[in-house]
Amino acid sequence: MTCNIIIGCVLVVLSLSAIIALVIWSRRSINRIACEQHHSARDIVRERKNGR
Amino acid sequence: MSGKTADKPHHSSELSRDLNLFHVTMMGLGMMIGAGVFLGTGKTIGYAGPGGVLLTFALNGLIAIVTAMSYAELSSAIPRAGGAYNFARIAFGRGTSFIAGWMEWFASSVAGALYAVCCATYTIRFFNGLGFNLIPGIPESVVVKLAAIAVACLFLYINYRGASETGKIGAFMTLAQTAFLVIIGILGVVVAIKDPSRLDNFTPFLNAENGSWTGLLVTMGFTAVAFEGFEVIAQAGDETINPRENIPKAMLYSVLIVTLTYIGCAFATIVAVKAGPDLIVDGQVVAPWVWIGSHGGEGFGAAIERLLPRGGGLLVVLAVIFASTSALNVTVYSATRASYALGRDRMLPDSFSKISSKTKTPWVALLFTGLIVIGVAGGLKADQVAASASIMFLLLFFLVNICVLRVRYNMGDELEYGFLMPLFPALPILAIVCQGVLAVFLHEMGKVAWIIAPAWIGIGLVIYRFYSRERAISTPDEIQVLEEHEADRGSEYKVMIAVANPDTALSLIRHTYAICRAKHARVELLHMVPVPDQVPLSDAEKYMGEGREAIAETLLYLAPEFPLSTTIRYCRNAARGIVSAVRLKRTQLLIMGWHGKPMSRGFTLGSTVDPVIERVPCDVIILKGLTDEEYKRVLVPVAGGPNSAFALEIAGILAAQNDGEVVALTVTGPSGREAFDLRKFVDTHSERIGLPPNRVKVEMVESSNTIEAILEAAHSEENGCDLVVLGATREPVLSQFTRESVPEVVARRCKKPIVMVQGAGPIRSWLLRWI
Repeated sequence: MTCNIIIGCVLVVLSLSAIIALVIWSRRSINRIACEQHHSARDIVRERKNGR
Repeated sequence: MSGKTADKPHHSSELSRDLNLFHVTMMGLGMMIGAGVFLGTGKTIGYAGPGGVLLTFALNGLIAIVTAMSYAELSSAIPRAGGAYNFARIAFGRGTSFIAGWMEWFASSVAGALYAVCCATYTIRFFNGLGFNLIPGIPESVVVKLAAIAVACLFLYINYRGASETGKIGAFMTLAQTAFLVIIGILGVVVAIKDPSRLDNFTPFLNAENGSWTGLLVTMGFTAVAFEGFEVIAQAGDETINPRENIPKAMLYSVLIVTLTYIGCAFATIVAVKAGPDLIVDGQVVAPWVWIGSHGGEGFGAAIERLLPRGGGLLVVLAVIFASTSALNVTVYSATRASYALGRDRMLPDSFSKISSKTKTPWVALLFTGLIVIGVAGGLKADQVAASASIMFLLLFFLVNICVLRVRYNMGDELEYGFLMPLFPALPILAIVCQGVLAVFLHEMGKVAWIIAPAWIGIGLVIYRFYSRERAISTPDEIQVLEEHEADRGSEYKVMIAVANPDTALSLIRHTYAICRAKHARVELLHMVPVPDQVPLSDAEKYMGEGREAIAETLLYLAPEFPLSTTIRYCRNAARGIVSAVRLKRTQLLIMGWHGKPMSRGFTLGSTVDPVIERVPCDVIILKGLTDEEYKRVLVPVAGGPNSAFALEIAGILAAQNDGEVVALTVTGPSGREAFDLRKFVDTHSERIGLPPNRVKVEMVESSNTIEAILEAAHSEENGCDLVVLGATREPVLSQFTRESVPEVVARRCKKPIVMVQGAGPIRSWLLRWI
């Protein structure tokens, strides 16, 4: 039972962390794309690959 | 002439843009918070246990954020009213999109009817609790139905008033109910800090009677609908200020807020009840979570009454009324926009796209949506139809996750994105799997849902077949056939030759002649007419002149030898048109020319060649700079990659027609260690090369720079070659993460004529053709 509690709490924390991380990353990405001139999928992937 | 051009012009009316980020976020929240959390929390605690409810909401939030990212990506690229309907239209065409819109309309309308009934039920009970009997002598069930219809009519009118009023009223209601739930969550934390013994309520963490961890899948299934508000945000594309930014943000924010709110509420519900002898179920003292679960849908309210003994019950009733009306407001909005989009594209009668000059709302679409809402609210059993709506929503989300894959692969170069999801394609595939699993568990909610849902879809298919298919307008993204002539008979092996430039068409054909003959092929000549965005598709035939000329020339050359089919098509993007034609004709080999000019921005070889190499589900041969010369010495750089044998085969065919030879070249590192046994490789594929051994030479060059070594071998005046055949190495998935490959750089820099080949293995071919 203790094992269930530990696994459960870890899963809840991990899920919430993943959701928050994805939302923060996405917000930054949206803002960055809005500042760029070209927005095709290929352009955006290339920019990400180049670390910008 | 078998093609058709764009149909008659349709309404060009536009909706007013007056919803900002706050409004659309609140719209999504309003649809999600609905009545789901109030009714779902108690049931979930009873089924999965006190820890199970936290896990259910956390994991569902994770699945929802993945699906929301798919929606966000598509909405940022296609920000128009219609949501999933528009995505399916761009990705798959008219038939699938009609069914998507049809399901969306029904699911949202029925959900709206349910919220109307929910609101009416709690309102009547509230007044009854205060001692008011609204209509004496009439059974309560009838009063509830009448009240539900009245509530539905009220919110139909609010929607008729316009998007601004809809968004603002909905935002106010949603803000109120979210604030209430957040306060509940904070109170729960305060209570737990003051009295830590209440944390013992989380023991046992999961309900072992329902399979502990497996029970979670059931509760995730029936609470999944409480996370699906991004559909309504997608519907607001035409009315949102700066939709490419605001719509993706609103989708993601709403899922984050709702997940945190649900978890907070669930935590508060568990700790609200103090263990004691007063928790009795069936004559036995039970644990707090069992007591909450025994109240079923009212478990949340029962627990909050203990947390807030003075007025807690009243607050819960008010919150349910707020939540139901807010969700009703939003679902009516969503359903109306779905039917409006169907009318706009002439899938339903034109009147569905009529917009009121006074309020700027699609009043006919709203009227028919209202009829469904009122009909269902007044006449049908709510639970069974709710399950049908849930299944159709789930199927819709399943479809959207497929759409995001297809749109990115097929049209990623053409669309302007405001957001691109990370970890593509892993995330949408994960979402597809999750939607499938949840759909299976939704089956547990009732078998009738699996009868009603297919019946509605069946009606939609009949309407599409006999009404919508002929009427639907073409969109700028579609590909149309202008001229088509089919060969009567011929080999099963089909070679498609994409002819673009009449000046180089004949030269291209001369060199493909040998390949077609060696393959005993049936030849398909294709000419794509790219029509600029500024020109209506109805004027596409003006651009056909050169295509006809090129086709006529090549026909004269090839017709005596091969069974020939010809097609002239037009579309906005040549690469997509070629890939589409290859899929449609089930071609085994595509041959096309490449101008070899400096690359376009973002492309390695060119804006047409790159997407074709990445996506086409068959073998490809790209020819660059071939003239009428005879090629006697064909150089093939070989590194043992997947296309090396195919490159040697094509080199053998091209060399054989001029009694030439093939030179297989490999570059070893400075240490002299050979990367692989080239002689053995050539011997293994000697039958495929088709030349006698004395006309196949093997050369090894030692160099630390592979590209320079190949270019030097190709350009050497003494021992140089006439033609270079390269095996491409690009793969659509890997190309996102890797830098340019050796063949691409050599192809760009080499001054000799180039033939670049890419073989499609059976798995790659199947994947690209069907997925």
